[in-house]
Order: sequence, then structure tokens, then C-alpha cells
Amino acid sequence: MDFASNLFSTGTLSQILVGLSRTTILFIVSSGMSLILGVLRIPNVAHGSLYMIGAFAAWSVIQFLGGGLFAFLAAMIVAPLIVAAVGFVLERGFFSYLYEREHLMLLLLTFSFALILGDLVKIVWGPEYRSITVPAFFQGSAEIFGLPLPWYNLFLLLIGPCIAVFLWLVINKTKLGKIARAAAVDGEMVGAVGINVGWIFAFTFVLGSFLAGLGGALIAPMVNISLGMDHSLIIESFLIVIIGGLGNMWGTLLGSLIFGLTQSLGILVWPQFGIAFPYLAVVAVLVVRPRGLLSSTW
Amino acid sequence: MRKVVLFLAMAALTFCVAGSGVAGDTIKVGFVDTYSGPATTFTNDVLDGFKMAAEKINAKGGVLGKKITWVTRDDKFKPDIGLTMAKELILKENVDLLVGTINSATALAVSDLAKKEKIPFFVTFSKSDKITGEKGHRYVFGMNENTEMAGRATAKVLAKKKFVKYWIAGDDYEYGHAIANGVFNHLKTLNPKVQLLGESWWKVGETDFTPYITQILAAKPDFVIVATGGGGMVNFQKAAQSTGFNKKVPFYQHTAIELSTLSPQGQNAPEGVYGTANYLFYNPATKENKAFVDEFRKTYNRYPKSGALYGYMTAQFIAKSFEKAGKVDREKFIDAMEGMTLGSPVGKMEVRACDHQVTLPMYFGVTKKTPKYEFLIASDVVSVPGKDYMPSCAEIAKARAK
Repeated sequence: MDFASNLFSTGTLSQILVGLSRTTILFIVSSGMSLILGVLRIPNVAHGSLYMIGAFAAWSVIQFLGGGLFAFLAAMIVAPLIVAAVGFVLERGFFSYLYEREHLMLLLLTFSFALILGDLVKIVWGPEYRSITVPAFFQGSAEIFGLPLPWYNLFLLLIGPCIAVFLWLVINKTKLGKIARAAAVDGEMVGAVGINVGWIFAFTFVLGSFLAGLGGALIAPMVNISLGMDHSLIIESFLIVIIGGLGNMWGTLLGSLIFGLTQSLGILVWPQFGIAFPYLAVVAVLVVRPRGLLSSTW
Repeated sequence: MRKVVLFLAMAALTFCVAGSGVAGDTIKVGFVDTYSGPATTFTNDVLDGFKMAAEKINAKGGVLGKKITWVTRDDKFKPDIGLTMAKELILKENVDLLVGTINSATALAVSDLAKKEKIPFFVTFSKSDKITGEKGHRYVFGMNENTEMAGRATAKVLAKKKFVKYWIAGDDYEYGHAIANGVFNHLKTLNPKVQLLGESWWKVGETDFTPYITQILAAKPDFVIVATGGGGMVNFQKAAQSTGFNKKVPFYQHTAIELSTLSPQGQNAPEGVYGTANYLFYNPATKENKAFVDEFRKTYNRYPKSGALYGYMTAQFIAKSFEKAGKVDREKFIDAMEGMTLGSPVGKMEVRACDHQVTLPMYFGVTKKTPKYEFLIASDVVSVPGKDYMPSCAEIAKARAK
């Protein structure tokens, strides 16, 4: 097996681009998780469920509007908003009562909600697989050295940086974002200067949920929307957040890049064991920098 | 005082008699299967098919004057839970028979229990060839195809095609490897010219197949055997459609032509995908199949999938065997089951005496759009009869002797 010739083949560029489009989804979902982890200190196990609801909600919106590009774009906005609303109910209705308690309680609560939301999805949408298709506008694929790169993946490549910039602006340039960052570092102090920390937490959780929903909605046209789609994602997201540095947004971006690229290049180099590469990268990072690549907010 | 004691004793006695009378009036079937999570899309059909047949049998007076009843337990796709649930069904619910499960590991665990407890167990979806193969025994019955059978049936059809350079890809667990190797190894014996160009394996539940597809395309194989299962079927087909993979390289997926894979995608599923299935509601276009489909649609307002056929046949086999046995006795029931035949929507079925495996036909076809339905169907369907692709009784005996 000649790894080098595999790596420096015509397929490399297309494989990198495909890997980057996967990175986009990973980043969007993980950034929501990282945000919640950084500010609220909750390892939100239910984050994957919110992502799943995002995908199902996108399906419903597109069904309701009868398909087409407009329905697709509407779904990309409405579905995350629905998930944000669910996040609001979760945070205000349940999580907010446990911030004073041990963190283990919060962790257990998010775990419970992962199970409850999974069942709720089954009640609302049923056990059947759902599928939405890429709107005609994005159908087909570009050719790079004779290898296909779907237009939808290219669209994701554009969306990714937009979200990153948007998040950066919200967190660094808005008052709310600045307070949230301060709350992440020292919540008690922020409370002491008269700011309602509860609402900052609610805002953060809602924004995090919105991102989970957006990730779910964006991936929906590429995958089979089904119960259980939350499971594999939640593990990947956790790993990304950990290798990036807990709660660090740029770290999350870096983690997503490592995860997405090692996988797609791993497949190119050694297809039988492609799945192992991102995890090997995680191990490598944790051995060298156990606290994550960039500084953790913890 | 004595009167009171006597009264209580009488009452207790009455309850005992009444209680045992109730228990004896039914044939109780215990379902242990996955009723939460993604697998429900398959398992619900098994249960619904069973219920439909059982209710019809009950309406006609039941079996040996007894009604068929059923209880279900959710194994949550976990073998340990499945085993606990199966024990509970035997001990607490006093079931006469067990039916399930979609998870192969659970099926093997419950099969082992069934052997120890001497209780008949009908396997209705899991695809491990060990169930009626090397780990088969007197108390277990196979109601659907397994990986070995799917591999042989597919190899038989593919051997007649001109493809030479093959690529294998699939879910990196038992089912994926079993299907892919099943097809390729048998193909290799039937057509020694074929060669394996390479393999790729992804984790179960993989959502994005695009990087794998570009990698396979770069290697330029003639044909790809894609061994995914469950929800991965749809995921892979969507990626094949968006990359145009199906137009560049023909590929095969076991169950690619099944309704559960094609109906969620509507008109947007990729055309030209090779697949196999035990059941297609539109094929064969016989009176029996049409009657089954009509009845199922009337009852549940949807088209029946493979699972519905498995459940439907299971209930009928159970009823017929108890009738033949003449009483509710497990050993006599099994004796009656061996070699039992049954008219089914897909023709005459037999439960082979040597391995307790039902002789279902395997349908091989290629996905195609049709104005008749909102989803793609299989075209150019080739039916491979059970006897042509099932391992022979001698092979089964050899596998079990190991």
C-alpha cells in the first residue's frame, strides 16, 4: 500500500474540500456545545437531540411549504428557531433551577433530556425515516480533476466561515456577548455588579440550541433523518470541544478542522481504517496538550 | 369461623381454577424486539404483520379453540436487555413461544436461552447466518434471509455480469463485513476472473459518505459492493445521488430496493442501484400478494415492507403447527414445524427440517423511477428461489459440527 502516492494524487484536493464541508457541520454544532460548556459549564448531552430536532423540524417546514428553494431557505431559518425555543424552555424550565447544585445533577438532567427528547421526536414524527432533498438549485456536482464535489458541499463551505464570523461578532462585539464571556470567566463577579446572570445563561443556551438546530437543518438534505442520528454526533462534538480547549470558540474551529480533515485524508490514504484517523488525532492532541489546543475557559 | 375459612378456601380455589383456565385458553406469544430508536421502522412491520394474521385466526375461532395473544418487550437494541426481557417473558408472562429480534447479538443470546428453556424462538429480522447456521438448534427458527443467503443469491446474479474490478465498502461491524464478504467470496468461486481492487470501512451510523465516494471513484472500479444497513442505506443513496456516483459506477446494496430505503427519498432516490430483498409489495403480481397488500393497507394505511411478511408468516406457521400437533405442546409443535409448508404472498414456503430456515425467494433488481408510485421501485426483477441460494443441509450439518 503506497500511502504517499495516495496522498499526493489528483483526489487530494477534492478530498480536502469534502473534508472541509464536513468540518462546517461539525463546527456549527460543536460551537453551540462549546458556548454552553464555556458559559454555563454544562456538558450538554442533550445537544445531539437538539440537532436531531433541527433536522426533523427542517423536514416539517419543507413539507409544509411544499418544497423548492424558498422552502429550503425558510427551513434553514425556521427550524433552528424552533430548536432555540425548545432550548429556551429547557433552560428556563429546568436547567436554571439546578445551577446552584452540583454539576453532576446538571449532567444527569441533560442526559435525561437526551432520552426524553429522543422519545418526543418519536411521538411527534414517528419511527419512519424521513428525507429531504437538496433543492434543484444545489443539485449536481462540480468536477475537480474528474472527481465530483456536490454543489451542496460547496454551499456548506461558504456557510461555515459566515457562521464563524457571525459568532465572533456576537461574542466579541455585542454587549451581550461581552457579558457572556465575562460570565464564563467569573459568573459570581458578573452577578455582583448587578447583571442578571440568569438571563445571560438563558441567552447563551438559546444561542447554543439555535446552532445545534442549524447544524441539524443544514445536514438534513445530505442524510437520512432518523431517530438515533444524535448519537454519533454527540461523541464527535464532545471530542472536538475537548481537543480545542473547553469553551474556546477558536479552539472549536480548530478541533473541527482536525476532525474533518484527518477523516477525509485518512480515507484517502488508508480506506480500510479511515474511521480511526480522527480518533488517533484526538489521542495525539490529548497526549501533547491535555487541556486542549487553545486555552480553556475552565 | 369454620364457615369463613371454608368460604375463603372455596374462593381461593375458584380463583385458582379460573386463573389457570384463563391461561390455558390462549396461546401466548412473547415478542422481544427493538421498539425504540431507528430500528422501529422495521420491527413495527413485523409486529403489525403478525397481529393482522393472528387477529384473523382469532376471529375464526383461534387455534385448537384457543386465541393467539401477544405481549411485547423493548430490548432497546441491547443484547443484555433483550436477554433479561426474554427471561421475563418466559418466567412472568409464561409465554408459549418467543418472537424477535432485529439485533443479531440479541437474537443469538435469546436463541441460547430458548435452547436451555426448551421454548421455540422465531427469529424475524436479524441477519446473522449463525442463527440457523453453526449456532442453530432444535428450538430456533429463521423467518427471514441471512447474510450468507443474501451473499449467495447476489453472487449468483452478479457472476453473470461482465464486471471484473470490484471494490468493497461498508459498515465496520459484523453485518457489513458478513454481507460484503458473503457476496464477494461466493462471486469469486463462481467467476474466478473477478478481482478486489480495494476496501473502505466506515463506522456504523456514518452520515457523510462523500469523502468515501470520491475516494472510490478515484480508484475506478467496475462495480462496488456497498454493505450498509438500516438508516445508512438512505444516507449512502443520497450521497450517491448528489455526487452522481450511481451514474459513474454501478453499485449494489443488500435491501437497496426495499421500500424502507426507497420510500423516504421519494422521487429523488438514485436510479440504477442494484439491490436485493426478500419482499416487494408489487412483485410478484399474484393474486395472493395483492390480497396481502390490500389487507395490510386497509388495516394500517401503508404498504407492507419485508418485516410485515415475516410477521404475517410467523403467525400462520404457529397456528398451522399447533393445529397439526393437536395440542399445546412445545416438542410436538417443533416436530410439526419441521418441513411444514404454507401458502404465502410470495409463493409456497417451507420450514426446512434440517435447519428450521424458511425458504423465501430473494429478489434482485435495479432501482427505477415509475409514474405509478411516489417512490422508486425495483425493475428487471430476478427472483432467485430459496432452494437455489440457501446453504444445503449438508453444509449446515458441517458448520454445526465444527
